[in-house]
Amino acid sequence: MSEQATDILSSDEVDTLQEIMNIAFGQSASDLSEVIDTHVVLSIPFIEFVKVTELHTYIQQHVKEYSKISIVEQKYWGKFKGDALLIFASGAGRELILLLKNDEQGSLEAGSAEILESETLLEVGNILIGACVGKLAELLNDIVTYTPPMVLVEEDARNAVPANKFDPDQTAIILKTDFNFEQGGATGFLFLVTKNESVVWLKKALQLFLEQYE
Amino acid sequence: MILDQIFDAINTGILIIDTEFRVIKWNRWMEIHSGLSEDDIKGVNIFDKYPDLDNTKFRRSCKSVFSFGNFSFFSQKLHRYLLPFTSKSLLGNQFEFMQQSCSMGPLRDENNEIKYLFINIEDVTDVATYEHKLLEMNIKDGLTGIYNRRFLETKLEEEYKRCKRYKSTFSLIMFDLDHFKNVNDTYGHPCGDFILKMVSSRISAAIRNVDFLFRYGGEEFCCLLPETKLDAAVLVADRFRADIESQNNVFEEHVLNVTISIGVTEFIAECESGVDILKKADEALYTAKKTGRNRVISLR
Repeated sequence: MSEQATDILSSDEVDTLQEIMNIAFGQSASDLSEVIDTHVVLSIPFIEFVKVTELHTYIQQHVKEYSKISIVEQKYWGKFKGDALLIFASGAGRELILLLKNDEQGSLEAGSAEILESETLLEVGNILIGACVGKLAELLNDIVTYTPPMVLVEEDARNAVPANKFDPDQTAIILKTDFNFEQGGATGFLFLVTKNESVVWLKKALQLFLEQYE
Repeated sequence: MILDQIFDAINTGILIIDTEFRVIKWNRWMEIHSGLSEDDIKGVNIFDKYPDLDNTKFRRSCKSVFSFGNFSFFSQKLHRYLLPFTSKSLLGNQFEFMQQSCSMGPLRDENNEIKYLFINIEDVTDVATYEHKLLEMNIKDGLTGIYNRRFLETKLEEEYKRCKRYKSTFSLIMFDLDHFKNVNDTYGHPCGDFILKMVSSRISAAIRNVDFLFRYGGEEFCCLLPETKLDAAVLVADRFRADIESQNNVFEEHVLNVTISIGVTEFIAECESGVDILKKADEALYTAKKTGRNRVISLR
């Protein structure tokens, strides 16, 4: 299913990107623990190139062990641009509510448990995506802005990402990491679906990054 | 210069604070809605003017903006508002304060270092008011203002699942006005409506604020009592019965006395669903009707 990575980036470029992601996600993990008082373990990120039309199936493959998932989606805009999809395993929302200990929780009206759950996913998603994308962009000397995050709570994993969600005829650079929270046990994946049009810039940025060390 | 004009002309709130939470910029919209001029607040720590802002979520958001250039969002659904401004909405005063949807993000200096953050405040009071009205209409009965049948079904399933999971209990009281058709036929439907409203308001006043009162059908009502055993629920039900019986209801020149028949049941683990419990309460109510009305029958 996936294309040869070297069709888009050379193997050196992929290695460099991999290295940058290792640094970025390592740093974001430590920043995150400062902001949300728990350690988030991010796995070594994984890069893959997938046709946008196959993305739907690709994501499904990765979440097939879950029946229900929650998704936080946020667009990031810089020279580096695309969609971040944060996929949480079922039950994560409720785990994370305990973690955040917001002051407002006591004052919510009846029937708002769902609101609290979705808002918590949004907040944690926003922080996690921002930390990972922001660090990556920073290392590549880019500045990104974000659209407000959107959330789908506890959806059937098979239908959560619609097949026609992304612009076809494009190849997505998928940067994937698994994460889990040391407390609370919420787990999931982060996919950064980067648009093809970022590739030219990305090649240049990777080059510049390497030159610092040459 | 042009940007400065936009900053003040735009119909949305923008403020800028530095890493020490001092206000650097405060646009015209902020001046209008806060009653504080930019001169009043410039250089002042925002927590001095708005102490409630000094909370976990706000500080966490600022930290994530300053430490990794993140954006942060404060939805109206969860936070209602960030700064307590008087609402100028024309849709009535559903809310004490203007409902706000806010976002926050980093501002960098020429060396790309994050020195400030901006907060954008949008007034969403009108939208929130409409939403609130829609939600109300969805769960409340138009005539009596108590909860409707749809909400009963939702609540019953919720309570059923909760009790099953936590091995706790609840009781359900179902009651019906005796010979209500006679009221309508003799005195007309406005009088019938008057009686329904009277019953709803008397029972509403008699229950705890953790209990729920629903209009189940025409003259049928249900009351859900969380964490309440059957014998306690029967006592409550009999209080309802006695209270309604004792009322002399004056409608136009008529004085009416009405009574209610009541069926009471309690959650038991063997029930398959919330609907099962409803059926049992209905059965008990049926017995109360059959055995002479104006009485309470319980069924375990």
